[in-house]
Amino acid sequence: MLNCKQVATLASDYLDNNTSLRWQIRLHLLMCANCRRFIRHLQITRDVGARMAINEPGADAEAVWNKVQTRIKKEAQPDQE
Amino acid sequence: MASVKLAQINLHDSHEFNTSSPMTQSPPASLEDKVPYPLLKNKGPHSGTGPADESELIARLAKGDDRAFRQVIAQHHSLMLSIARAIVGDTFADDVVQEAWVCVYNNVANFEQRSSLKTWLVTIVSNQAKTRLRKESRQVSLDQLDGEVSGSYLDGVHFKTDGHWQQAVPQWSVESPDALLEEQQLQSCINRTLTLLPPAQKAAFILRDIEQQSFEDICHILAVSAANVRVLVHRARLTLMQVIDRYQETGSC
Ligand SMILES: [Zn+2]
Repeated sequence: MLNCKQVATLASDYLDNNTSLRWQIRLHLLMCANCRRFIRHLQITRDVGARMAINEPGADAEAVWNKVQTRIKKEAQPDQE
Repeated sequence: MASVKLAQINLHDSHEFNTSSPMTQSPPASLEDKVPYPLLKNKGPHSGTGPADESELIARLAKGDDRAFRQVIAQHHSLMLSIARAIVGDTFADDVVQEAWVCVYNNVANFEQRSSLKTWLVTIVSNQAKTRLRKESRQVSLDQLDGEVSGSYLDGVHFKTDGHWQQAVPQWSVESPDALLEEQQLQSCINRTLTLLPPAQKAAFILRDIEQQSFEDICHILAVSAANVRVLVHRARLTLMQVIDRYQETGSC
């Protein structure tokens, strides 16, 4: 029998179909409400990720492009100071 | 009794993936089947670029069009930075991504569009980062693959010695992903948490759960074993799950 900690450790592999212990996990889930809730919450978390847009402080495209252009010019004229 | 230890993290995997140049390296095939710009959903007017727009954009890049470059940089720079950070660490990531853009500039005229532009960009930055990793391997810290952060779901305190939960797993009053995503406060909690994840976890999570790439492609892109990608994604999900736990309980991060 798997215990809860083992199920929690394998939970993503279970959701992503990456484990050979599928049936052992199912058996545990039949009997354990906590792990059922845990796996359900993990699945919700995964689904939230799938619908998310990354909202990082966006790259300053202008600044990046200026740096890249400087490099391109340097590479084009390696011998001229 | 089944053996279910967490996969061992093997740092040495990361040096061995391909030595070919960015241009000859064929991109992971399945990246192409996906929605072109899932990163940009809800993100404004440029998000709807289809294949025709993309060809036009690439043609403008090939001519060296300034505005086209700024557009592509705005769209893809942060994804590329996340990948570079995961492979080569913070110290060199900015530099590596700039090199990648130079490489794009120099080679986009020969880009044959057998993959999407994004796939091509990801391949280039991944290869640039791996090349840099080989050069700087002594200085690069791979501690992003270190063990559990204490307090995370998998550390000991959540479980009794027999492996059963120490306490009940907390209830959530909202269990619909759509409803959760409508909560502005939670969105910003999640985004903040994402930026704080260790770089390898963050890149693995973005590529897997947000970009929906296959585990196989991700292990090539990030130069870690498949087992490691699975562990990284799992840890990232658990961290975000705890953010949602806290939000459900307190209404804030
Ligand atoms: Zn259990």
